[in-house]
Amino acid sequence: MGDLTVQLEQQIQHAYATKTPLKIRGGNTKASLGRETSGEAMDMADHSGVISYSATELVVRARAGTKISLLNDLLAEQHQRLPFEPPSFAGEATIGGTVAANQTGASRPWFGGVKDSLLGLGLINGYGEVMQFGGQVMKNVAGFDVTRLQCGAMGSLGLITDVSIKVLPEFKAGHTLTFDMTIEAALEAMLKWANLSLPITGMSHFKGLLYVRLQGGAGGVASASTFLGGEKLASKAAEIFWQAIREGSFLQPRHDQTLWRWSGASDTLANTVPNTSLINWAGAERWVLTEALDTPLEGLVQYQGGDRLAEVYGAISAPQQALQQRIKHAFDPHGILNAGRLYAWM
Amino acid sequence: MNSLLNAPNKPPHEGVIDVSTFVSALQKILPVGAVILSKEGQRPFECDGLTVYQQLPLVTAMPETVDQVQAILRLSHLHGVPLVPRGAGTGLCAGAMPHAEGLLLVLTKLNQIVHVNHKTCTATVQPGVRNLALTEAVAPFGLYYAPDPSSQIACTIGGNVAENSGGVHCLKYGLTVNNLLQVTMVTIEGEIMTLGGAGLDEPGMDLLSLMVGSEGLLGVVVEAKVKLLPRAPRVQVLVAAYDTVTAAGDAVAALIGQGIIPAGLEMMDHLAISAAEDFVKVGYPTDAQALLICELDGTDAEVEEQLLLVCECFKQHGAHHIRIAKDAAEAAALWQGRKAAFPAVGRISPDYYCMDGTIPRSQVGYVLTRISELSQFYGLRVANVFHAGDGNLHPLILFDASIDGELEQAELLGGDILTLCVDVGGTITGEHGVGLEKMPQMPYQFGDAELAQFRRLKAAFDSEELLNPGKGIPTLKYCQEYRSLQHG
Ligand SMILES: Cc1cc2nc3c(=O)[nH]c(=O)nc-3n(C[C@H](O)[C@H](O)[C@H](O)COP(=O)(O)OP(=O)(O)OC[C@H]3O[C@@H](n4cnc5c(N)ncnc54)[C@H](O)[C@@H]3O)c2cc1C
Repeated sequence: MGDLTVQLEQQIQHAYATKTPLKIRGGNTKASLGRETSGEAMDMADHSGVISYSATELVVRARAGTKISLLNDLLAEQHQRLPFEPPSFAGEATIGGTVAANQTGASRPWFGGVKDSLLGLGLINGYGEVMQFGGQVMKNVAGFDVTRLQCGAMGSLGLITDVSIKVLPEFKAGHTLTFDMTIEAALEAMLKWANLSLPITGMSHFKGLLYVRLQGGAGGVASASTFLGGEKLASKAAEIFWQAIREGSFLQPRHDQTLWRWSGASDTLANTVPNTSLINWAGAERWVLTEALDTPLEGLVQYQGGDRLAEVYGAISAPQQALQQRIKHAFDPHGILNAGRLYAWM
Repeated sequence: MNSLLNAPNKPPHEGVIDVSTFVSALQKILPVGAVILSKEGQRPFECDGLTVYQQLPLVTAMPETVDQVQAILRLSHLHGVPLVPRGAGTGLCAGAMPHAEGLLLVLTKLNQIVHVNHKTCTATVQPGVRNLALTEAVAPFGLYYAPDPSSQIACTIGGNVAENSGGVHCLKYGLTVNNLLQVTMVTIEGEIMTLGGAGLDEPGMDLLSLMVGSEGLLGVVVEAKVKLLPRAPRVQVLVAAYDTVTAAGDAVAALIGQGIIPAGLEMMDHLAISAAEDFVKVGYPTDAQALLICELDGTDAEVEEQLLLVCECFKQHGAHHIRIAKDAAEAAALWQGRKAAFPAVGRISPDYYCMDGTIPRSQVGYVLTRISELSQFYGLRVANVFHAGDGNLHPLILFDASIDGELEQAELLGGDILTLCVDVGGTITGEHGVGLEKMPQMPYQFGDAELAQFRRLKAAFDSEELLNPGKGIPTLKYCQEYRSLQHG
């Protein structure tokens, strides 16, 4: 635990000089995401620790290797939370990897994704230059938004060294309602309820049940609960359910299975994404678990499993591919940082 | 441009452009009347909301279709003609100020609301749609578009995307970047590109967020898909008056620290309160040194719960007068004073210069005290209006441009305020953008490596620097000249 910026900087400068590919690794919990790559290991787990945390400013700044579980505990002491509810993967996930892989939990439609809480970050580019973008304040539009650009970039544009995140107060009250519903009925109900300005923080459908999580002030939650009806889930069971949703543990692909992710408009009909196993984000995210290894599903991301040397994120238009290659080059001219993790051509 | 402070900023394109060939090709693309060449015709476009910086363009084009936008960009690219996109021109950083040897691309005729999906709470709009027009169009569905700049009656969604604009409701609902799903843009080569998507998080690097706030330097936005929010069943506005700005600042920090995030939380100082009250007469307490305007929203139960806590917190921190709006009309009136604060200040001074620094909330008291010292030092009055919940300050520097040297003094004072914001851990701009205006402060906030990275990123989109050149990101040469100016 500590500040390893200097070593990390030197390692990248050396890799730049020798054109050595590097493979960035935080808690190593996301090895199954993105494409399979090789390279000299660049370990971030020891570059960890909270740099600053001000509960009254609602901002925490931590080194990239800091574990999500540690942040959650620290914030809980002050009755605060990470707004985007990231998975902690058995306590091993790091905040740097979470940002790079853009990992968000069930509250995404209401409290935003990683980018919505991310205020700034430190980055070492492929030249080995240490840089800072954004900051610790709530609004900042000076310069291009290099900070948010990193969300989902899977480390291909730079090594994230530290992140500053906006935090929010814990909810004062909450509970979960369940409804016996088919996928079709659940999609309709979710659309309707999302329109009503209710204190909803999660809507997921799994195995014939729609789960609706209400969180907020006690009065607001109670009145919304009466309005919606349904069956109230015991609090322990609710906790276990939302934890499983967040950690992705309902749909762990076996070695001969592939897990596909669909992302789109929440009013998309059920039959557009056949064989959906789980619906999250009020219908905007759907998951399909297939037995077959190599049949790409049109418009879906090959999230986990299957051939990890394939273009798991699918194809993009030629002009955009060329643009992304130029952007990659602008950050990492020798292509040493997580080369090929996002796309084979990057 | 009147002032000399920005002198190092020379346009990068000094090569010879074949003007007549370019213009006649442009006239073939666009209908008669959509190409403006005369000085009188272009005069309305010579500046944005920061009127002290003015420049007539070579030619102004007002396309009506995306195809025309594409054709114009291709043509500019072919001829190496600089191109400045423009929405309504309400920007406050001279971002849309024309380029002397360039084309001004006015996008206000692309003003269609293409599609509203009230089920998914989304709307697809062209860039020239006015911010308020969108909220009005979706009101029948009980929806609204959350980012609401005070200029919302005029400013366009395209301009909002380009500046990452915010408004009084951004504390709870975020800036433009937090309310956007997808953008269609045209590259300088005339290529159409879609960033983001119908879903919430698309795989890969977040190019959509990069495009937001890029000030017309990376591409031209021709369509945006935005999120809409359901109107809360109950909205409650209240104002609280304080004897000192520090007490009001502390009340803000305490409220947020307690975990209460109002929909909006704004602050005005004495000068701003008086100016606003004189202008709109809504009954603000003109003897107060600071006024907080707070909006709570949600279900009845939620609002009642929060209202108690807010009043208690405000009183604890010394509010000597709390007024709770009884109905929607009174709430609107209380907001009106805040929303009209800029023009109100405009009435008490021949000119004013609006700053936009953001600071940590805990620094509000200190920074306001320093600003009043600076104000005395330069002999110029400063009114403070700001998004207190976010720590986003809008000091308004009052000056008279017709008095020799006052503009320069105002600029110097403004520059000092911005560097002060950086010194306390903040930024030179929270929502108005860098444009031409804040170029001198960019090397203060960023080091050489970051600036070089910005330039390489710019080159990945626009290697010939044709899109809005000379703005947003200073060149290496600019920084060197700026620094020698500072130290010389
Ligand atoms: C009285 C007043 C109050 C204001 N209050 C606020 C406020 O509360 N919050 C806030 O954030 N701002 C505020 N502003 C600033 C301004 O209104 C915003 O920056 C607004 O978003 C600008 O929109 P516009 O259409 O006028 O853009 P313009 O001024 O025309 O352009 C702004 C920038 O965007 C670029 N641009 C415009 N359209 C496009 C496009 N389609 N594609 C690419 N680039 C484009 C231009 O090149 C320029 O750099 C205020 C301004 C005034 C005058």
